[in-house]
Amino acid sequence: MRIGARGFSAIAALILRGLISWGLILWGGILAPGPAAGQAPPSDTATSAAWNPPRLPDGQPDVQGMWITAVNAVFILTPAVTDDGAPRPDGRARQSGPSRVIDPPDHQIPYQPWAKEKQQRLQANKDGEGEFVDPQIRCLPSPIRGAFWQDFQILQYPGYIIFEYEGNHVFRIIPLDDRPHASNRIKLWMGDSRAHWEGTTLVVDETNMNSKGRLSREGDFASETLHLTERYTFLDSKKMHYEATFDDPTVYTRPWKIGADFIPKRAPAGYEQWEEACHEGERDAALSDLNLSSKK
Amino acid sequence: MNKTPHIAMLIGAVALSFTPAAAQSPAASALPRLADGKPDLSGIWQVFSTANFDLQDHAAQKGVPAGQGVVEGNEIPYQPWALAKKQENFKNRATADPETKCYLPGVPRITYTGLPFQFFQASGKASEKITILYEYAHTNRYIYTNGTPHPKGPIEWWMGDSRGHWEGDTLVVDNVHFNDQTWFDRAGNFHSEQLHVVERYTLIDPDHINYQVTVEDPKVFTRPWNLSMILYRRKEKNFQLLEYECYGFDVEKYYP
Repeated sequence: MRIGARGFSAIAALILRGLISWGLILWGGILAPGPAAGQAPPSDTATSAAWNPPRLPDGQPDVQGMWITAVNAVFILTPAVTDDGAPRPDGRARQSGPSRVIDPPDHQIPYQPWAKEKQQRLQANKDGEGEFVDPQIRCLPSPIRGAFWQDFQILQYPGYIIFEYEGNHVFRIIPLDDRPHASNRIKLWMGDSRAHWEGTTLVVDETNMNSKGRLSREGDFASETLHLTERYTFLDSKKMHYEATFDDPTVYTRPWKIGADFIPKRAPAGYEQWEEACHEGERDAALSDLNLSSKK
Repeated sequence: MNKTPHIAMLIGAVALSFTPAAAQSPAASALPRLADGKPDLSGIWQVFSTANFDLQDHAAQKGVPAGQGVVEGNEIPYQPWALAKKQENFKNRATADPETKCYLPGVPRITYTGLPFQFFQASGKASEKITILYEYAHTNRYIYTNGTPHPKGPIEWWMGDSRGHWEGDTLVVDNVHFNDQTWFDRAGNFHSEQLHVVERYTLIDPDHINYQVTVEDPKVFTRPWNLSMILYRRKEKNFQLLEYECYGFDVEKYYP
């Protein structure tokens, strides 16, 4: 049957992505000796006072290039174990690296009860069909996960900083002037970002997100009222500390933060970011309506 | 009491007398330029043309505005087998056009999807490539202007590989390494993986680019052919690229 064949291909695509992820997990696990050592540093330790960066003609610190996460590319937000070292009761987290959630202190996202229920439903059915399929599997963009998944390139032009994410060739064009955000009637997969430099820290204010992309592979989510504040602190030319505060009173009981360290991608001179045509390559997952229908 | 209107009229008269003169004299020296003297193509541009419906002269049909063609001489020099294929494509265009599946549209079609795109260009270190970002499906192109050659093929990309250089005030972009999956328009005009596209971007005044393209494909056409159109600068205050995240399925059904 056609449906079966298409379904099989979609599953194969999922498995392929899973294998790639598992490879990264194993690699990350070798680097991260244990949960305590793997914890991200407290957020307030990241300062950039010491570094005197090269400057571009418009005054921006020159931070152009490809950046990758220092540890473990897979984007699962919460730690694999509880703080006392026990496996998480839900047994679903497979990441050996550090927790991406750095606040609250228990590394758990402060969901409102209805939202926790929704997240758990999405997580429990993440290999399911229909609305349970993670939009990223379908090559749809996520403004948060791009940097954690594949190469993340920073480009700088006068008055702008551009984030170009290799995965599904999505980008954010971020003006550095004081223009207002686009109308809040305009919802965007990649959001609407404005930024300014505070020393060598780029502070990005992002709104207008449609929040259809998930925040992690475990069903974590936000809503259209999400206000994201990102701080990219360039400690020197070889290290950047990233923090993002999620403020969304529709979904959470309080603002919370993720954090991660980034390093330049090691690449030969002349390395170029080449085409990553996700949607075009994974046609069963990205184009077929049939394999998303619920089994009835 | 009467002073205010008089002053307003005077200002109006002065404005009128200056505006036409300013509009008439966009000398080449008035083109925006970077510190290195290259014309500065930075900004948001858009095509106003029916080229995406049909590159050639065409009458109106339901949902298709009539349009004057953009092909020099109006004829596309297909080999006989390829003309038959084009005609078959035209018949099946409602479903066969790769655009209906939201695939990356290739070059030069990305320029005339009808959606705006933004040029980013700088002197100094950043002059090694020009970045073009398109509202259509988050398409990106890097035009390497650092003298590097095309990577060794065979490679088949949707958007090809772009290497640029300057000939006087014209940015010349050489594009190869395409696949055979994209069309030039909704009328079934097509190419093979041997497609070679040369684009020429020439500022004719601060707000208009003359966009000239030479298309070559020895497998499909009997000779190279040319098309051209004008790119218009979007000047509205705070105009910015938004998104057209194209889907090949009913995304709202599952992700409302």
